[in-house]
Amino acid sequence: MMNRQLISRGLAFLILIVCTAAMISPIFFMISTSLKTKSEMLLFPPTWIPQSFQWDNFKELFTNEEIKFGVLYQNSIIIAVLTVIGTVFSSAVVAYGFSRYRGKGRNLLFMLMISTMMLPYPAIMIPQFLLFSDMNWMDTFLPLIVPAFFGSAYQIFLLRQFFNTLPNELYDSGKIDGASELRMFSSIALPLSGPALATVAIFSFVWSWNDLLGPVLYLNSQEKFTLPIGMAAMISSKFRIAPWNLLMCAAIMAVIPVVALFAVAQKRFTEGIVLTGIK
Amino acid sequence: MKLSASGRENFYFYLFIMPWLIGFIIFALYPIAASLFYSFTDYDIISSPKFVGLANYQELFQDDLFYKSIWVTFKYTIISVPLTLILSLIFAMLINQKIPAKGFFRTAMYFPSMVSGVSMSLLWFWIFNPQIGFFNYILSWFGVKPQLWFLDEHLALWALIIMSFWGMGAGMLIFLAALQGVPASLLEAAKLDGASRWSTFWNVTFPMISPIFLFQLIMAIIESFQVFTPAYVMTQGGPNYSTRFYVYHLYESAFKNFRLGYASAMAWLLLIAVLIITYIIMKTSNRYVYYEGGKES
Amino acid sequence: MKNGRKLWFVMLATSMLLTLFLSACGKGGTSEGSSSDPVTITYYTIDSPDRTFVEKLIPDFESKHPNIKVKVDKAPYEQFDSKLQANIAAKKSPDITSHFGYGGFMEYYNKGLLTDLTDIMKADNFKASDYGIQDELMNIYKVDGKTYGIPSNNYVTLMLYNKDMFDKAGVSYPPSDYEDKSWTFDKMIEMAKKLTVVSDDITKTQYGVDFGWGELDMRPAYFGAKVYSDDAWTNGGKPSETYFGSPEAIAAYQKWIGLIWDQKVAPPPAFSKAVAGQFGDPFLSGKIGMSVVGSWSLASQKDFNFKVGVAAVPIGGNPDVRSVLYVDPLFVLKDSKHPKEAYEFIKYMLTTEVQEKSIELSGGTPPVNDNAKEKYYNSFEGVDPQVIKQVYEGANKYGVESYNHLISNYSQLNELLINEFQSVQNGDQKVEAALPGIQEKITKLLERLNK
Repeated sequence: MMNRQLISRGLAFLILIVCTAAMISPIFFMISTSLKTKSEMLLFPPTWIPQSFQWDNFKELFTNEEIKFGVLYQNSIIIAVLTVIGTVFSSAVVAYGFSRYRGKGRNLLFMLMISTMMLPYPAIMIPQFLLFSDMNWMDTFLPLIVPAFFGSAYQIFLLRQFFNTLPNELYDSGKIDGASELRMFSSIALPLSGPALATVAIFSFVWSWNDLLGPVLYLNSQEKFTLPIGMAAMISSKFRIAPWNLLMCAAIMAVIPVVALFAVAQKRFTEGIVLTGIK
Repeated sequence: MKLSASGRENFYFYLFIMPWLIGFIIFALYPIAASLFYSFTDYDIISSPKFVGLANYQELFQDDLFYKSIWVTFKYTIISVPLTLILSLIFAMLINQKIPAKGFFRTAMYFPSMVSGVSMSLLWFWIFNPQIGFFNYILSWFGVKPQLWFLDEHLALWALIIMSFWGMGAGMLIFLAALQGVPASLLEAAKLDGASRWSTFWNVTFPMISPIFLFQLIMAIIESFQVFTPAYVMTQGGPNYSTRFYVYHLYESAFKNFRLGYASAMAWLLLIAVLIITYIIMKTSNRYVYYEGGKES
Repeated sequence: MKNGRKLWFVMLATSMLLTLFLSACGKGGTSEGSSSDPVTITYYTIDSPDRTFVEKLIPDFESKHPNIKVKVDKAPYEQFDSKLQANIAAKKSPDITSHFGYGGFMEYYNKGLLTDLTDIMKADNFKASDYGIQDELMNIYKVDGKTYGIPSNNYVTLMLYNKDMFDKAGVSYPPSDYEDKSWTFDKMIEMAKKLTVVSDDITKTQYGVDFGWGELDMRPAYFGAKVYSDDAWTNGGKPSETYFGSPEAIAAYQKWIGLIWDQKVAPPPAFSKAVAGQFGDPFLSGKIGMSVVGSWSLASQKDFNFKVGVAAVPIGGNPDVRSVLYVDPLFVLKDSKHPKEAYEFIKYMLTTEVQEKSIELSGGTPPVNDNAKEKYYNSFEGVDPQVIKQVYEGANKYGVESYNHLISNYSQLNELLINEFQSVQNGDQKVEAALPGIQEKITKLLERLNK
């Protein structure tokens, strides 16, 4: 009995080692290519470890006038940070409303909100595009940021699940102290929702950071491009020879903020996702 | 000013949900209605829309590319979604045992899903490079001839499917957390009853995590209906339309060829497809999915 | 519907607190004011170094025209057309551009995007000869006697070759004289065979020739076949019939594809994309002996890390059709608020002095102004100016204007061909098997577009 368990665990361990190696290897290729010279990156069979480490590739990425990586980075950060602020704030307010008050039509509105989680963005992008175009918002960051200030269904749902777990007694004590409704939200509910808000913040940051379709539709001039479009343009006609090593540097640089965020908030994040998953 | 208790309740309810309500009307309800309207027009963005009745829908149903884009999306979804979900569940279960270096495996499996979006596309475009890519190099160890991957109309979609497995870490993490939520007492009880591992899984574990499985399934399907980035970055829908995903076709029709009416018709059909599929899954799942404490309210 | 959208706009504007914040940082719109206020015109171009040089000319122009400010907008080549239309629809139309994208003059003209410059030019007493522009070039952009564009650059198709590779293989250079009638397509293949090395090691592999003559629909013309009925040249680029499935067209495409799969002297797409990326030019990697390309490639000559030579395009099936000419004009767009100022800028771009300066700044855009041509011929290090002159003059003599300037809805047509030809270029399908299907799809597409 004991032996069988050991064998099966041993087997699981082996499978995991092999599969983990397979999963990680692309990351390894990415890092290794990013440090190769132009000629080494074209070798076949490819070298596993660069003959000499070209750390200057990263420097070139930022100094190359054609790529303007610094500008792309800055734009992406501006958009993502504002999106996060908008999403966290508005979603918290709305989720609190759904969780705490039994207004008329609450159930219906809540169902409506849930169903917009399933609403595919491409299904509504054409009228949105025309709307923003009429409002003269083309080639500005506004179409990418402003909608975040009206809450996102997924995040509202997540936060409502969280607010539902807060006991009513908390508010009762607030009432006795004579706190207004707004105060109860800001000084009782919000301070307790750190982990949930962090989850929402990470979700919306990553989403905005990776979004390609939105920027492709709304941004026209190069100085406004975000990382995803800028990087996609790097394998377009702009370079007659694709600079694979620089592309890999770019991919690494684009992933770093995401990795950093997850590293900081890993545990809370998992809790947050499970919270949305379990109804 | 004194409101009745229910008036107060209403007032604060609507006050708090106001941002969403406004956003819902402007950014969801209006676009849905407007795109229905546009789907009955011929609209090239520069001149004003002309009403053409059902002509766009008629044309859609005669358009090879439209069918092709549905087929590509369907094939991708039907292969990639279930396999990715099952793989992520399997790995979650493997890691959820008493094995050494658990934390390492979890992080290592999850790590790739942080390389997403355009970064992921660039990386895999490079890995699948037909002449100097690592994938062909590794295949060559097993005596497999170099393949063209993204340049081969029979392989391009498969390359994308392989790439999609790589992102299974996110699902795995969620399953892992869900598995840890399965009460140990239940598993112990099953063991005492002499249940096999297989039947323990189907009778205890899976029912407990089924709501999460269902949620993941629906979200994954909806997401894979909307694949855009890899087609835009790597293949431009080619070769020979073999990766022309539905949304990529929609995007090109709307914003490259400026056939906004035709594209709006596609948008509406997408909306209907998502509705139907969500409905079917929810309906059929009632039989399988176990909600703690009975059905949700 | 415009009203419907307006309604929402009004709702939005009144209901949102944000509006305040928005109007503060929104564009606000520059007032049109009195004539002493400078006006701003926008020049829209593709984002590649041989085009964006215009930015460097602006300070000089602005100092000469203190009442005009110029702004340059850029887009990647692949998105050039779509961004242009989106901008026009958003009422952010640029003032000046050219057909730098896939689409061309006829497409723009048929969509009503262009301003008729005839009156402005008449009032200004514009003479093409003042700018060294030949009259027949002016005629390309006239419809019914009205001028919609003024030529500014004159690209041709030529052959670039890698001198280092020729030297190593001990092969003599291809000729630059278009009158040398021994320089034929078959001779080019012969030469290419001597240069081609196919090896399992990609770093050792090299190909003799990369034959990028015009876009896909033009290639039959080189071999003496036609794909569009003649009425297309007179009716605004809408051919009543197309002949992609004709035996002549099939034979023509077979010859071209044959370079890759029968003669094996041209790189398959997999090779090109591996060494040059998705849209790159493999010639730059030094792995191609001869490359038949548009003369814009010469502008990146300083990036080549090998010695480059320039030669004539060999004789194919039609001795009079050996080069594709791309006369790029400058247009003033319909929605321009300052057509006169835009026209001033176009004139500035055509002066001998600026055309010469443009050559320097861009790395070598070929001028349309005859007086600036000497300077162009002399601006490529290591390449004999006489040779470039010879190649240019020959190309102009035996050239045809690029179809993308002449055929309506060119971008959709071209996209279809690019997609459909992929399996043929990859060697998965034979030319003769693919073309009847392609013909059918083109007929269907044109039926829809030109109805």
